[in-house]
Amino acid sequence: MAKLDIPNAADDELVRSAQKGNMDPYEELLHRHRDKIYARAFSMLRNEEEALDVSQGAWVKGWQRLKQFQHNSSFTTWMTRICINLCLDFLRKRQRQQTDSLDKMEEETGGVERWMEVEDYNPTEEMERSELRKEIDAAMAKLSYEHRTVLVLHEFERMEYKEIAKSMQCSIGTVMSRLFYARRRLAKILISLKKERKS
Amino acid sequence: MKQEDRLKIQAWLDDELAPKESARIADLIDNDLEAKELAEDLRAIQKALDVGEKPAVLEDSREFYWSQVERQIEAEEPITENVQPELVSGSLGNALRWLIPVGSLAAISALMLNFNSINTTPDLLETGEPGIEISLPSPVNSPSGLTEGSGTIPEEGSPTTPEVGVFSFEGTQNGGNLSSPEDPNTLPESIENPER
Repeated sequence: MAKLDIPNAADDELVRSAQKGNMDPYEELLHRHRDKIYARAFSMLRNEEEALDVSQGAWVKGWQRLKQFQHNSSFTTWMTRICINLCLDFLRKRQRQQTDSLDKMEEETGGVERWMEVEDYNPTEEMERSELRKEIDAAMAKLSYEHRTVLVLHEFERMEYKEIAKSMQCSIGTVMSRLFYARRRLAKILISLKKERKS
Repeated sequence: MKQEDRLKIQAWLDDELAPKESARIADLIDNDLEAKELAEDLRAIQKALDVGEKPAVLEDSREFYWSQVERQIEAEEPITENVQPELVSGSLGNALRWLIPVGSLAAISALMLNFNSINTTPDLLETGEPGIEISLPSPVNSPSGLTEGSGTIPEEGSPTTPEVGVFSFEGTQNGGNLSSPEDPNTLPESIENPER
């Protein structure tokens, strides 16, 4: 059997070799995708150190469970889900340690914004894509973790309501409600950032 | 507009509604100004998020990052290896967890009964019949594996020897060996479930 050309091998080939216990192909997979996994952890946790720890934990878990990977999805999708689950576990632990915040109390009802009119928001107006990304990033950082998580999972991971409900251990109704208020709140923050920019 | 309809407008935009409900919400958006405005607002946010996320890049070097992951993998691997024998002999281990204390209790009870019988013998001696011999079956080693004493109860004050009226429970002592590999105290405390 020909020796695997690790730098030029496809992800799938590397995974199959790593599933036999070879660590070198797994190291190559890590080098290829570590930024993506770290970025997902950071988008959910909003803390560089915690994101680093959780992303490394995801790679450790990935190795330990690699034999369970059935090749039904891409390796990066599988790894990202491991990372998301670790982030959710981490956030749940952190949430338990904190006292209830105003965000938590308002989470289901939407708080005051339920009764507020949403101003028109035109995202593409006068903005470059990179600028808009930065602004969205800043707005996402201001959301509560429940709102941010549901948006990340739906908008960036393209997960369906039922998948999100399963991951976040809540009902589909709660997902719909969280997503609704997360979007309205994000719009409100983006409008205020736009006003700050203009002034 | 009811909150339920607002959430359904959102679900309609996310393509999460069943066909029949989807048609009803589409009709509502066409004919209700508030519904139409809400759909436009939500669509604007969707469009904004379509630009994607700001990329986050790791500052650690590839080698350093991998070395940390590798170290964690190696640190956790021996635990995984130790799991296997326990998983194979899990039912035996569970049984022993109960059998050991029960067996020990039985042994202690038997010993206490035996001591009680020794304590009663002086009463016999006090009856003024020294040197009574209690005939016990021979041979000394019974088929049950219990080692019996001579069966002769000595007179008061005579030197006591280990075999006097004592049954030693060799079999039980071996069975209750706490340093045996099946001892729960020597088994790994917790094993992480590989499945979430």
